[in-house]
Amino acid sequence: MEYINIFIKSAFIDNMIFTFFFGMCSYLAVSKTVKTAVGLGSAVIFVLVVTIPINYLLETLVLQEGALAWLGDDYANMDLSFLSFIMFIAVIASIVQLVEMLVEKFSPALYGALGIFLPLIAVNCAILGAALFMQQKQFANIGQATVYGLGSGFGWFLAIVLIAAIREKIKYSHIPAPLRGVGMAFILTGLMGLAFLGFLGFEL
Amino acid sequence: MSEVKTSEPLFSKKNMELIKNPLNQINPVTIQVLGICSALAVTVQMDNAIVMSIAVTAVLVIGNLLVSLMRNVIPGRIRIIVQLVVVAALVIIVDQILKAYVYDVSKSLSVFVGLIITNCIIMGRLEAFALGNKPWASILDGVGNGFGYGLVLMVVAFFKEILGSGTLTIPGLGKLTIIPESFFDWGYMNNGLMLLPPSSLFIVGIYIWVQKAKNPELIEA
Amino acid sequence: MALNKDSNVYTIAFATIMVVIVGGLLAFVSMSLKPMQQANVKNEKMQNILQAIGIEETNGVTREEAGAKFNKFITRRVTINYKGEIVSDKTANDKIDAQDKLDAFNIDLRKEYSRYVKPIMSRNKGDDAKIQELLSNSTDIHFPIFVCEHGGEKYFIVSASGKGLWDDIWGYLCVKSDGETINGSVFDHKGETAGLGSKISETWFEDQFIGKTMAENGAYLPLSVEKPGKDLNNHQVDGISGATFTGIGVNEMLERNLAVYYNFFKNNPEFTK
Repeated sequence: MEYINIFIKSAFIDNMIFTFFFGMCSYLAVSKTVKTAVGLGSAVIFVLVVTIPINYLLETLVLQEGALAWLGDDYANMDLSFLSFIMFIAVIASIVQLVEMLVEKFSPALYGALGIFLPLIAVNCAILGAALFMQQKQFANIGQATVYGLGSGFGWFLAIVLIAAIREKIKYSHIPAPLRGVGMAFILTGLMGLAFLGFLGFEL
Repeated sequence: MSEVKTSEPLFSKKNMELIKNPLNQINPVTIQVLGICSALAVTVQMDNAIVMSIAVTAVLVIGNLLVSLMRNVIPGRIRIIVQLVVVAALVIIVDQILKAYVYDVSKSLSVFVGLIITNCIIMGRLEAFALGNKPWASILDGVGNGFGYGLVLMVVAFFKEILGSGTLTIPGLGKLTIIPESFFDWGYMNNGLMLLPPSSLFIVGIYIWVQKAKNPELIEA
Repeated sequence: MALNKDSNVYTIAFATIMVVIVGGLLAFVSMSLKPMQQANVKNEKMQNILQAIGIEETNGVTREEAGAKFNKFITRRVTINYKGEIVSDKTANDKIDAQDKLDAFNIDLRKEYSRYVKPIMSRNKGDDAKIQELLSNSTDIHFPIFVCEHGGEKYFIVSASGKGLWDDIWGYLCVKSDGETINGSVFDHKGETAGLGSKISETWFEDQFIGKTMAENGAYLPLSVEKPGKDLNNHQVDGISGATFTGIGVNEMLERNLAVYYNFFKNNPEFTK
């Protein structure tokens, strides 16, 4: 039950895009067609599901105050939490590198479509943002953290696929010229965010 | 943007454009659509927006300078990682300083300070500009883009705070009441929507609308 | 250029030097700023506790002066568990030792909630009786009480922690020596919507609790936050419009935590003397 709650909360209520604007750069840049959106969205889910548990272990076994107690009493009071930013980003960057190599090998078409944006996943705020929130939320075990990663990734996937679908259609609509493209995407995202606010009513 | 000659005066026309252009024509947020991630979530109060702008500008300028100084020694294969490490280290220092000296602000910015690391403006400028330009030009480029980012952030915060809370919080001056009490007596209400995340998107959307209407050459085909 | 920038040796050497420099620099910055950061956190907590008392001398206390005033006003620090047993009892003369996790001052309200209370509540959702039973049998959950003696009166600062709309909320309330009347309160939150739920930490909201009581005819009756604009009795305060869920969170947290303190004061009349 706990897991379902965490999933729903992270995917819908605390949606990465609509409540925190995490990963907006790639969200706006890669959402012109549904096909690429699905590709990038899946990549984000994958990277989140892999990096969040690793970062969780890093956090609980190394970085947290007192986390090094398993090394012996001398280390019980070490607090390395100031290193968390750099450690998290290092983990993320290396995983992304790995994903990039895999995609290049197994799906050159997707690699071509995503182009520059795959390396940019490393600097996608959604990935680091989820890691930092994971740190703040102090999950009880690694399972919860993983589900949190999955939920956040799914929420992000959902957001980018939805906006891509709308943007594909809206190409044929008459909208004021200065709003064409990014401007309209912002306003659409705002409207979708309003709709997602409705999920706040869920009692979990 | 080619290399700036050493004999050029420090504030030549070309150098000034490095600062001026990001404010409008190539604004990192509204035109290049970079760095929105962390930007919009800290705009409910003006003071948070100002501190965030200063923090990002500082990281951007120093990061640009460092990468530009190291541009001839950074190994090509690990340059992204090197840039990330530079930025992450700077952000950690900023975070530690905020926690020690302006504790209240660091509390309200919470995780968003850490997210400066993944602010695409910073990585984007390091990769696209600092790696290929001399230190002074890189500093100016950092200042310009930092200001361009700060400008949008503050415009959004300005409208959100005034319409949402009727106040304006400016560091050093405290919370100023902008909408007078008498308005409320006549039936004026603060707009609660303005305090919620989606309103930032509407304001940026309108900002882009106004900006592109004034500069038709920016309109997307 | 003599060096081959793309050689493995160069790349690895560069990375190593960089890691050493960056690591050293960060460790240095962190070490040198650490005392100030810890003092900030500690002073803020003292400031919150002092402000909660609700007496004139401590109402406008700033973070800077909180450290000095804390020892002057808080004469005793007690930690109790759910059953009302005292597990730690210190006077102002005992220094606060960060290692002594049972010292009332070192009880981390947010951790108490997220580590011990939240798992029990979410695992037994809907079964209130079971939650109550599990909670009251738990010896892990600690409740700090700070005793303030001032002007011949005794004040007891108690705490509460729970969950708002987005994240944790917590607060300190001051109970008068009758064990049921509130004399002051301070609330704080991690991430409630700025301008809506975040208003629980504003003075007007906190001051509403002054003079309210958590008992009627000798029985516990929880304090509650109502929808704004309702007629209020002696146990109710005005809520924040637009922040319904934060209000529900505050209600839940006050009801659960204050019950423990109420029973403790009632069962230990000599404590409040």
